[in-house]
Amino acid sequence: MSPLSLAAVSGRRLKARRAGVGVTRPGFAWAVPATVFFLLFAILPLVLVAVLSFTSWDGITSPHFNGLANWTKLIHDPVMTQSIWLTLVLTVLGVVTQTPISILLGVWAAGPQRNRAVLSAIFFVPLLLSATAVSVLWRALLDPNFGVPGQLPWLFGNGNLLGNQPGSIAVLTFVGMWQFTPLHTLLYQGGARAVPQVLYQAAAIDGAGTVRQFFHVTLPQLRNTMITSMILMVVGGLTTFDTVLILTQGGPGTDTTVSAYYMYVQGFKDFDFGAGSAIALVLVVVATLISLAVVRLSGYDKMRSTAEGI
Amino acid sequence: MTVRNGATRNRFAAVAATTALVLSLTAGCGSSGGPNSGTIHVLVYGDAANKVEKQIVDTFNKTSKVKAVLDTIPGADYQSKLNTIINTPQAPDIFFNWGGGSIAPFAKKNLLLPLDDMIAKDPGLKSNFLPSVFNTAVIDGKSYGVPMRGTQPVLLFNNKKVLASAGLGVPRTWDDLISDVKVLKAKGLTPIALGGGDQWPALMWFEYVFDRVAGPDLFRKALAGDKSAWAGPDSQKALGMLKQLVDVGAFGSNFDSVKFTDGGSPALMAKGKAAFELMGSWEYSTQQSSNPDFAKNDLGYSAFPTVSGGKGDPKDVVGNTNNFYSVVKKTKHPDAVAAFLKLMYSDEFVKAQLGIGNLPTTTNTAKFLSTSASPDYSQFQFNLVKAAPSFQLSWDQAYPPAAATPIHTAIQKFFDGKTDANGFIQAMQSLSNS
Repeated sequence: MSPLSLAAVSGRRLKARRAGVGVTRPGFAWAVPATVFFLLFAILPLVLVAVLSFTSWDGITSPHFNGLANWTKLIHDPVMTQSIWLTLVLTVLGVVTQTPISILLGVWAAGPQRNRAVLSAIFFVPLLLSATAVSVLWRALLDPNFGVPGQLPWLFGNGNLLGNQPGSIAVLTFVGMWQFTPLHTLLYQGGARAVPQVLYQAAAIDGAGTVRQFFHVTLPQLRNTMITSMILMVVGGLTTFDTVLILTQGGPGTDTTVSAYYMYVQGFKDFDFGAGSAIALVLVVVATLISLAVVRLSGYDKMRSTAEGI
Repeated sequence: MTVRNGATRNRFAAVAATTALVLSLTAGCGSSGGPNSGTIHVLVYGDAANKVEKQIVDTFNKTSKVKAVLDTIPGADYQSKLNTIINTPQAPDIFFNWGGGSIAPFAKKNLLLPLDDMIAKDPGLKSNFLPSVFNTAVIDGKSYGVPMRGTQPVLLFNNKKVLASAGLGVPRTWDDLISDVKVLKAKGLTPIALGGGDQWPALMWFEYVFDRVAGPDLFRKALAGDKSAWAGPDSQKALGMLKQLVDVGAFGSNFDSVKFTDGGSPALMAKGKAAFELMGSWEYSTQQSSNPDFAKNDLGYSAFPTVSGGKGDPKDVVGNTNNFYSVVKKTKHPDAVAAFLKLMYSDEFVKAQLGIGNLPTTTNTAKFLSTSASPDYSQFQFNLVKAAPSFQLSWDQAYPPAAATPIHTAIQKFFDGKTDANGFIQAMQSLSNS
């Protein structure tokens, strides 16, 4: 949705700015290639998935309609209910753990300190690794006998981090944080650099110290960055899959079977693509609703600029 | 949380999948292998063993007019990728599988070629293989596969040094095993290494204990659809024994955080922190590549202990009976396929497999055992498999693929104490066998 709404907004702004000069807005023809791709690769598959969710399909023979069977099965499936909760818990934990750290790091990285560029480059490294490599790496580091827990028994006990639900959720949250904090740090760094210096100068004249400047100038100015970053976190959290697949395989038992992983299991392990499609559709609806809610509640849709009045 | 890889990559995957779908739909009218193209496609699981498959394909192509092309699918995605192409124009002529449930859905949908006519023309396609192995790919009385690669029985491996220093011998009976576990635990060791994070290693304990206590009939009946088999007294007794094993601390307390696939549980045994590991015969090559000295000097192996009063034959084995080549019904070159399958009992094939540590199940294997990577080990396995009255295919391969996740979840929950015997029985009864 973001490319479309951005295009619309910039179109509106262009029109407003240039109306007096007599320049017309760009023709619809410019949007045709993007629209065609969007229809072909986003809308069409979505419709196909919606249709598939009312069929039973093993991926081999042709699908045949079975009405609401997949949906009634899902509603009565305790693993499905649990998977939605787990997904939401992981998403919230991701936002709550990553946001404060990336704001602090981002604001710091926007400053003029010595060695900042070098350190920022090092922080950035986790983002360059594939999720698979990251998961395999942490899996080895967290091995109860030969990894970190084996060396620090006073902290980790018997090291059975991935053998229970709280432990595995903590590990998944931590690994997600380790990997994606750099991206959000980068967003906040950009945001913090765009804050006009005059605001800090004015605050300094009024006698505000570094801490008050941070809370009363930097944070409010980062509002839109925060919304962007949180939407990315929410969408990413709802589709968490690769770390679950490699670190826990949805286990122990079904304790970390999040919705996206459950969808994969239904489709590609149980060969029940109908049920998998139904889960996919639930995810699409939930993700869209949450994104819309974030956009609405934050006033992002009105595009109030932080630069207004300057 | 996952922005880059979560959103972008998933979307990329979705786009790729859709493109593939669209392409395969449009490709339906065209054809990738016309009647006169003169090739057969051989699809195999991509791993180190491909070395032999390449060699065999080369040998075949030297004399055959129809040329064989080897396609490999790497890693654990094999079954799901096979499933998505088996009924499309991209389907291979010949493909690797595990027999049993891994091909039953294809056979039931009439996608596979029964090999009985080929066998009638060339009885060697059947008579050159050990019967217990060959029968794993027989479905509803029809043969759907010819053994390839090697057999993979599950053995109880041990660290000889650890056992010697604890003053213990190889356990011959279940009671020996329990008392060994207690001694080892008192010494502060993990008695048995278990890669519980992978789930399937725990399944091997179930397969053996159920077989020893109840004999192979219980599982055979359950697989055939008799759900009451799971609830009988034998099943209860086997589950009680497994519970006892976990409760005496045989696997330690953190087995769910350990995996076999990343080398965790093999390292426990190789480094002397654990005494035993129950594992498929590939444990040998695993240890050989990561701990060569241990594999050479201190890796011991034995058959699974006997259970007194059990109905199962102590000579029974469980594991992956073998891998098989099955043939797609749509193949345009059945004669070339038959000629290709013939190579699976040739001397060249047997020697090449032994050379990489696999144990083929052909009747001429015995002649070449001395050329193996470890002749003693090969001989032990060969005798074990040959003498076995029953060779139970791994439960997750015997059932159709859809049952694998529920089986794995049930065994993990049982070992974790999150479900009791009745919960396990219910989970197994709810499996669909078709």
